[in-house]
Amino acid sequence: MKRIRPAPQELCLSQRRPQSTFAQPSDPIAGEEVPESQPTEPVDPTEDMSRFPPLDPTTKKSARYPSPLPERALKSAKLAALRARLALSEKIPLQTLARALVDSTADKNKQFNNTNLAFLGHTLINYHVSEYLMVRYPRLPMAIMYSAVAAYAGPDALHTVARQWGIEAAAVPGGEVDPGLLQFSTDKTPTVPTTFGSRRAEADYLDKFNWRRGINSRVVLDDDFGNVVQSPSHSDDAAARSADNNAALRPYGTPETRKIAETAYANAVRAVAGAVYAHRGREAVKAFVKAHILSRQLDLSRLFAFKMPTRELSNLCAREEFEKPVARLLSETGRRSRTPVFVVGIYSGSDKLGEGAGPNLDAARWKAAMNALKAWYLYSPGEDVRVPSDMLVEDARPWEPAHIDIGEVI
Amino acid sequence: MEVQLQLSVRRSAAAASRTCQSCTSLILPRTATHQQIRHQATSSRHKRALRVPPHPSFIASDSAPKTDHIIFNPPSSEPSIFSTPFKFLPKNDPRRRANLPALFSSLSVAPATNKLPPLLPFLPTEAQPKVHHLKPEDITEMRRLRAEDPVANSVIALSNKFGCSKTFVMMCCHAPKEHQEQHRERLAAVRERWGPKRTKAREDRVRRKDMLLRGEL
Repeated sequence: MKRIRPAPQELCLSQRRPQSTFAQPSDPIAGEEVPESQPTEPVDPTEDMSRFPPLDPTTKKSARYPSPLPERALKSAKLAALRARLALSEKIPLQTLARALVDSTADKNKQFNNTNLAFLGHTLINYHVSEYLMVRYPRLPMAIMYSAVAAYAGPDALHTVARQWGIEAAAVPGGEVDPGLLQFSTDKTPTVPTTFGSRRAEADYLDKFNWRRGINSRVVLDDDFGNVVQSPSHSDDAAARSADNNAALRPYGTPETRKIAETAYANAVRAVAGAVYAHRGREAVKAFVKAHILSRQLDLSRLFAFKMPTRELSNLCAREEFEKPVARLLSETGRRSRTPVFVVGIYSGSDKLGEGAGPNLDAARWKAAMNALKAWYLYSPGEDVRVPSDMLVEDARPWEPAHIDIGEVI
Repeated sequence: MEVQLQLSVRRSAAAASRTCQSCTSLILPRTATHQQIRHQATSSRHKRALRVPPHPSFIASDSAPKTDHIIFNPPSSEPSIFSTPFKFLPKNDPRRRANLPALFSSLSVAPATNKLPPLLPFLPTEAQPKVHHLKPEDITEMRRLRAEDPVANSVIALSNKFGCSKTFVMMCCHAPKEHQEQHRERLAAVRERWGPKRTKAREDRVRRKDMLLRGEL
C-alpha cells in the first residue's frame, strides 16, 4: 500500500492517519513493510466518555488508533512544557516530539513510533560520547571504555535522563491518552536499537555455562556497550513471563517489565536527540548531547578493578622503559596499635608514581600501585581538548592530531 | 543512756520513714542519701592538660603579613590520581615542555642531597639485592625431589635447601595429586575446628582484599 501525506484540509476527515514525520519505507530498521495499523474494534476505550467528556474533541476519533493522532500534539500542554523545559527550538515541531514518545511496544507501525528516530539518536549519542572519551582519556582500557560509554549513553543513564526531564508514562498506551506521555506496553518485546555487532553462535550458552568473553571478541562481535547481541526471540519468553504477572500484586513490576520500561524511556531520549538532528542539524545535536548527556558527572576512577596491581605496574614500567618501580615507606603512625596507618609511595627512579595509605604495608603498597596505574590510564591531554567533530564547522582551526596510546598493559 | 537510746530510736525511725517514703512515692523527687565527695582535683585534667599549643604550621612566621590574612593549611590527603605524574606524560604533551626547567633542576640535584624515603622492609635493597642463583638443572632437581617424597621435601624444606622463597618453590613444582588431596583434607579438617569468630575474620579478610582491589577501601 502506497501511503501519502494527506492534504491539510482533510486532516480531520481522513480515515488514514497522517504521519508526524516523514519516514522512508525502506529504512534499515524497518526491514519489511509493516501493514497499516487498523483501528481496533473490539475494545472501545471511548465508552465512558459520556460520563467524563474529554476536553479535546479529537480524543474520540484518536482513541481508535494505537497511539494518539499527530494533530493532537498541538493541543498537549505536556508536550509544549517538555519542549520549553528542554529549551528546544521552535523548529522542532510538537508532532515530532509526540512521535518520539511513542515506543514500538505501544504502536508497532514504524511510521508512527519512535524506532527510526531512536536509531538515529542512538548513533549520534554514541558517536559523541565515544569521541569525547577517546580524545579526553586516550589511555582508557577497552573494558573501562565500554563501561564509561554505557555509563553516559547506556539505557540506565538515558532512563535517568528521561526521568529528570520529567517525562511521565501513560498507564496503558492508546490513542486517547495525552500525547505528552510516554507510551509503551510491558507485555511486548521492545526494540533495542543496535547499530553494531553480530550475534554470536554460542550466545545462548554464554550464561548457561558461564563462558568467558574476551575483550577482543567483544570488540569484534558485541554491541556498542560490549554486551552480547541477543536474538529477538531471546526476550520473547521474558515478555511472555512479564505478561503473566498480575499488575495488582506487583505494583512496581517485575525485573522484566522494569527493563522494558527502562528501554522505552531510553529510546525516548534517543528519539528526541534524533529529532533534534533531523530538524536542526549537526551542531544542534552536538550541543544537545553535550548539555544533557556529557554534562553528567562520572567518576572514571571508580570503574577500575585490578587483580595484581604491582605486577601490572612492573609490566608497564618495563614496557615504557622506566626504572623498576619500588615501594618506599613515606610515613607511618601507630605501628603497634590496633589501627596503624602506613603511607607508601611507589617510585620509579627518583620520581614518585603513586601514593597510597593502608592499615598494613601490603595494603598500602597495593593501593599505591593501583593509584599509579589509575594515574597512567586516566591521563588526559586537558579539559578543552578538541574532538574530531569540531572540524566539521566552517573556518575551524587546523586539526592537531589527538594523542593515541599504544594500548593497555597486558 | 536512756536519752541516747531514745535518740537513736528516733533517728532510725526517721530514717525508716525517709527510705519508706523514697521507695513508695513515685511522684516526689528522690533525695540523694549519699553525697558525692571529690577526692581528686580535675581542673588539671580538664583545663591545663588540654591547653595544647598550636601546630607550628599555624603559627605565623616573621615573613607573614602583619595585617589580616588567610592561612591556607589544608589537612594532609591522598594526592589526586587525575594529576598525572611527570614520568607518565607522553612525549608530545605541552606540560612536559612547560616543566622542562623543573625537570632539569630535579636531575641536577645530587642523589646524596635528594634523599628518598626508605624501602619497605621485606623488599630487596641495594645491600641485599634479589639473587637469581638457581640454574635450570637445580629446578629439575627440585622437581624430582618434590615428586619423589613430597612429605620429606616440603615447600619449606626445599626453599631452605635451595636458598629461595617458598613462592618460587611453589611456582616451580607441583606436588603429586594424592599429596595435594591429603593436604586439602587436612586444611578442611583444620577449618572445621574454627569457631564462628575466626571463620568470620577469615572471610572478612578476603572480602577486604577484594574491596581494596576494586578501589572501595
